[in-house]
Amino acid sequence: MRIFFPILCVLLLISAPTKASEELLDIKKVTSPSGINAWLVEDHKLPIISIQFSFKGAGSVNLTEDKQGLSQLLSNTLDEGAGEYSSQEFQKKLSDKSISLSFNSGRDNFGGTLKFLAREKKSAVELLNLALNEPRFDKEPVQRMVDANINRIKSSQGNPNWINARLYNDRAYEGHPYAFNSGGTIISLQNITPQDLKDFKNSHLTKDRLVIGASGDITAEDLGVLIDTIFGSLPDTTPPSKIKQLTLQNLGKTYVYKRDIPQSIITIGLDSIDELHPDYYTLQILNHIFGASGFGSRLMSEAREKRGLTYGIYSSTTNNEYLDALTISTSTQNETVAEMLQIIKDEMKKIKTDDLTQDIKKAKDYIIGSLPLSFTNNDSIASILLSLQLRNRDINYLNQYHEKIMTVSAEDVSRLAEELLTPEKMITIITGTPKNLENTLLITEVPNVE
Amino acid sequence: MKFLLLPLTVLILLVTPFSAYAKTFNAQSTTLENGLRLIVIPNSRAPVVTHMIWYKVGAADEPPTKSGMAHYFEHLMFKGTETLSPGEFSRIVKGLGGNDNAFTGQDYTAYYQNIAKQHLEKMMSMEADRMINLKISEEDFISEKNVVTEERRQRTDNKPKSLFMEQMRDALFTNHPYGTPVIGWMNEIESYNWEAVKGFYDTWYAPNNAVVIISGDVTMEDVKPMAMRTYGALEPKDLPQRKRGKIPPAISETKITLFDETIKQPSYQSLRLAPSSHQSKQESLALQILNEILSGGPTTRLYKNLVVDNKRATSVNFSYQSSALDHGKIFVSAIPHEGISLDEIENDIQNEFNHVIKNGVTETEVKEAIQRLQDSAIFARDSVSGPANIIGFNLLTGSTLNDIENWPTDIATVTPAQVQDVAKKYLNAEAPYIKPPVKGYLFPTNTKEASKTDKKGAIQ
Repeated sequence: MRIFFPILCVLLLISAPTKASEELLDIKKVTSPSGINAWLVEDHKLPIISIQFSFKGAGSVNLTEDKQGLSQLLSNTLDEGAGEYSSQEFQKKLSDKSISLSFNSGRDNFGGTLKFLAREKKSAVELLNLALNEPRFDKEPVQRMVDANINRIKSSQGNPNWINARLYNDRAYEGHPYAFNSGGTIISLQNITPQDLKDFKNSHLTKDRLVIGASGDITAEDLGVLIDTIFGSLPDTTPPSKIKQLTLQNLGKTYVYKRDIPQSIITIGLDSIDELHPDYYTLQILNHIFGASGFGSRLMSEAREKRGLTYGIYSSTTNNEYLDALTISTSTQNETVAEMLQIIKDEMKKIKTDDLTQDIKKAKDYIIGSLPLSFTNNDSIASILLSLQLRNRDINYLNQYHEKIMTVSAEDVSRLAEELLTPEKMITIITGTPKNLENTLLITEVPNVE
Repeated sequence: MKFLLLPLTVLILLVTPFSAYAKTFNAQSTTLENGLRLIVIPNSRAPVVTHMIWYKVGAADEPPTKSGMAHYFEHLMFKGTETLSPGEFSRIVKGLGGNDNAFTGQDYTAYYQNIAKQHLEKMMSMEADRMINLKISEEDFISEKNVVTEERRQRTDNKPKSLFMEQMRDALFTNHPYGTPVIGWMNEIESYNWEAVKGFYDTWYAPNNAVVIISGDVTMEDVKPMAMRTYGALEPKDLPQRKRGKIPPAISETKITLFDETIKQPSYQSLRLAPSSHQSKQESLALQILNEILSGGPTTRLYKNLVVDNKRATSVNFSYQSSALDHGKIFVSAIPHEGISLDEIENDIQNEFNHVIKNGVTETEVKEAIQRLQDSAIFARDSVSGPANIIGFNLLTGSTLNDIENWPTDIATVTPAQVQDVAKKYLNAEAPYIKPPVKGYLFPTNTKEASKTDKKGAIQ
């Protein structure tokens, strides 16, 4: 589950362009006195500041099999006691001051968010500074967070969507660190020591990887000072990583994990292109028309609106550091899985030959028109600023994006569909008891869970 | 959509009022001549609006044997009118760069669009259109029924824990519609016919049964003329009374147990009745403070005592749902630490309750809780769609606009004595409120043999 929907959301946010003539988002580039960069949208309507930051490349992809979940556990324990404060003292301080501080660990990046009321700026800065520079990793809270993660894993085992996502990662990314369970396994989590957490933090949370987006009630000057106080004493650099690029594995295969449930969960993966590829903008349009737009997309129209086969079907693009993919996800009762798979293949064919002029116009209208919907709150704006920088985009990207989207033609979309939507080169993962399927491979256990 | 947002479990966990309320939205309110209520929440952060229409009808208003119909009907609202083809509503919204969806609860059904502000009147006119001109083909009626059965499988039938929660609610709300799942029972979903569904629409969908809420870069001055041109043209209807059964007092405890192979760790949960804000405002405020003191974060009582200090549980949660036209409720859940049985953790939690009942809570705890809740109201303003949802959700469950706007001031009136009083009244194991709580025990299949000696095998 986790792997699909968050990615989809991020894409919706960052794929929204603007009209060049309208200054919808006034992004400032801020350089702190010590030379750390951040992007800021200043807005003083509410006494709220939202800061999102990320250490690019510091995600779970760096971990070995026996330490799966280490970066996840780091994200859970950095705020569990630091400096003079024990875990409970630290959390009490956050709570008394209504400061939201949390860390997150993705496959590629390790990040955090800090949100606070202007009146609590001093405490917010102090606490994040301590969390990043002097975390304690005391035995009790580390064990408590291991227990909480084990709870989460055991609880997820009752969720067939989670199982299917786990299996997809395992088979589609086979042989690559992406195939591991970024949330850890029940055994690996228990192997992680406070020293492991310290080592990972010191070697990966470094200034050369730091990216920052901020929005709200703060001036550029104050933000610069704040950044230096929080991040200024982190180590400068990380040694380069040796991780290899990946293309999807096991293409052409359909796997089934049998589970006695009335509805099967289906995830399909296809190879795709990266964000710097000239066809990237064409991909946004193609994906929108094919399945990303929900109601009105070709997959949703055919599978749900016309035939009532599912509550939802979506396509989404994944652009990770080492992998680019297009995924399709849906669920349908066991009796109609074969029909659903056929519809998906048929829609792949149709989109290559149909006249797409109208679809493309609508897609452009939506992509361009929906831009300001993401600019309505500080969290969302800070998150867009972070995303753009993580993807190495120019500060004027949103303005340029509009033009790039507008130049996409029907021929471009058909050509890219021909290239990417290849039914014979899909990996398909199904959890459930699908009926009438041929040539499937049975999976009997879910790896990297226990 | 669409989404049956808020099946009750989610509601309890995510839409508790504590994080959601706000100090003051400065909302403007008026009522059109035909009875439609119009509320505007100005917010100039971006040139966009959230346009919502909330109908005062929900799953709890369905006729017998038609469970889930309010939600199913919500799906049909996207299936075309005299002038719009099936799905066209959403396609138009998308073409204008907007998003739309809808959701159904026990007490309300709501539809919304997020869109650039220049398209607001178009949205209003389309909503006004489908309030009276819905036109559904036989084919769409049937295919959408399949969509809803798939939705039910996805949300509930595929997940033993969701089925379990459904049973717990059913057991708690004896003789009251809140015990019926919003999405409906599968066999009743399959049996809907168009006459009944049409009757539901004709009865409840009317301007005098609707609240329109617009949040964003507009003012009442901009919006009211548009509302009059669109919604203002609709005729009001005579509305029936909303009749719900009364929960009879009961003397025996209900315990539900499930063994399932996909459950990997034992867990305990309980569900009990409590007054909603609509039923008893001041008690509800005190319960909100009690909730915050017991389970407002990692340093509050339940987590600190049971998870951090004494290692009795690896997770524990208490949540009071205050927003409902009829009863509110309290959901408690815990996963015991290794070596601790479900009976033991159940006792530990009751001991925490008893401690409050006997000794009360401190001045400081109450003060801190008030501060956190008041701050959450400031954060709630940092959104366009959020305030519209908060106001709609609370208005439609019986609060007044003043209640919502003044919540941060009202919550500050709660005293430690009031908190102790509501604990005595609603968490007392010796003298339960209306009926004893429903208790649920989930076990992995492989613990079945071991638990035979355990005393908690009873099915309700």
